[in-house]
Amino acid sequence: MAVILTIIWAGIVLFILTLFFATLLGIAKEKLRVAEDPRIPAVVDALPAANCGGCGFAGCADFAKAVVESRAPCDGCPVGGSKTAAKVAEILGVEVVETFPYRPVIHCAARTEDKLGVVPYDGVQTCSEAHIVGVTQACTYGCLGYGDCAGACTFDALHMVAGKPVVNYDKCTGCGACVKACPRNIIEQIPFKQEQMLVVACANKEPAREVKKVCRVGCVGCKACQRIFADLFNVTDNLAYMNYDKYTAELGDAEFEPVLAKCPAKALVYFGKPKPEYARQLAAEDEAATPV
Amino acid sequence: MSIGALIGIFLGVALVNNLVLAGFLGICPFLGVSRKVDMAFGMGCAVTFVITVSGVVTWLIVHGLLAPIGSAIFGPEHAGALFFLKYVAFIMVIASMVQLVEMYLRKFFPPLYTAFGVFLPLITTNCAILGTCLYIDMKPETQYLLNAAVYAFGGGIGFTLAITIMAGIREHIRFSDVPKAFQGAGITLLVAGILALAFSGFAGIGK
Repeated sequence: MAVILTIIWAGIVLFILTLFFATLLGIAKEKLRVAEDPRIPAVVDALPAANCGGCGFAGCADFAKAVVESRAPCDGCPVGGSKTAAKVAEILGVEVVETFPYRPVIHCAARTEDKLGVVPYDGVQTCSEAHIVGVTQACTYGCLGYGDCAGACTFDALHMVAGKPVVNYDKCTGCGACVKACPRNIIEQIPFKQEQMLVVACANKEPAREVKKVCRVGCVGCKACQRIFADLFNVTDNLAYMNYDKYTAELGDAEFEPVLAKCPAKALVYFGKPKPEYARQLAAEDEAATPV
Repeated sequence: MSIGALIGIFLGVALVNNLVLAGFLGICPFLGVSRKVDMAFGMGCAVTFVITVSGVVTWLIVHGLLAPIGSAIFGPEHAGALFFLKYVAFIMVIASMVQLVEMYLRKFFPPLYTAFGVFLPLITTNCAILGTCLYIDMKPETQYLLNAAVYAFGGGIGFTLAITIMAGIREHIRFSDVPKAFQGAGITLLVAGILALAFSGFAGIGK
């Protein structure tokens, strides 16, 4: 009898408690309601939900809030690209201009054999440590080659090949983790207006004489490119810079051929997805290299 | 009940019987949220707040609901007949309190709400809080509401102290040359153990 009574009273007591707290929370929910913009969850749904933080905000929800509050641009999500930007713009009711995916390029194309004055280094094998030590190679601007950027990539899109980072643009989402990881700040996100983008693959600001002492492929600041393409190239501090605002989708091999031919250091390099014929060549090389 | 007794209770639970380092409760946030001092301190503050409120409310439930109903139905000698409901009732109280605190902060202190972030909902399943509420019910010195409140507050302060010290040490470990075998979780658990040993030195006071 006592057992049944206990069970009944246990049910009653818990029912009272549950009812009390449910009522309390129900009232509190109404009284303490915070008006949230209905567009915020809509924007969250439109985002890729990768939560990578590539936009500079703490995850997709934070970015959605920032977009609705006009603290971030519609096309601020580097992973979603123009598709997401269009969806977000539709939710917010604004016009979006054509956007291009921002992808990292490396302002150094020196392979291990191109670097001069490389000394044996037995310290901690990371770029950040080697950068602090400072004397592992003669060039104080270029890639150190220990692969901090490759380690920072969570999409397996960046690998060290022959002492320099190579981006797999099929896998790359443009989250910018490699940009932050590089202690020498030679990785930059540029708008990929074409499949391949021409990039000044050097960051050395020393005069030509000094550059030639430390690297075989360094930009010597000869201004040859600037003379041919004055509005696109700009040489300051002995280093050529590309003006990506003027880099249009129409520019192609025909326009760049003379520049590439003139560049004495071969410091102008195409970055991006390999062209079809080049991709075929790579695949053939892979096939040949694979032991049967 | 004197002020001295209250101080004794506070120091006893904050230092001597520290929830984390002597009771081994709340290890999950102690290891999970102790990477940075500011985050650890935020977590500690959130726990302290919820632990104090929950401690008071659960004391009221035991002494104002379970005990009177038990003695009214089964007679005064069986006042504890319904005490087996403590566990499920306490969890409900803690979950409700966390929800309530979250809503309240969101409405009136948005910066604090943003600062707490995900820690506040995480506290719902923090065993340190349930443990404190159950301890309060067991200890003879917490038969008064004020004592129970001080006990719960002391527990929260002890948790904050432990997790903040841990975060401070871990911030330094990041720049230390830790042997490869100990890196990561290994050195963290070693530090926690040594910290617990150090806190056992408090066992002499309060006696």
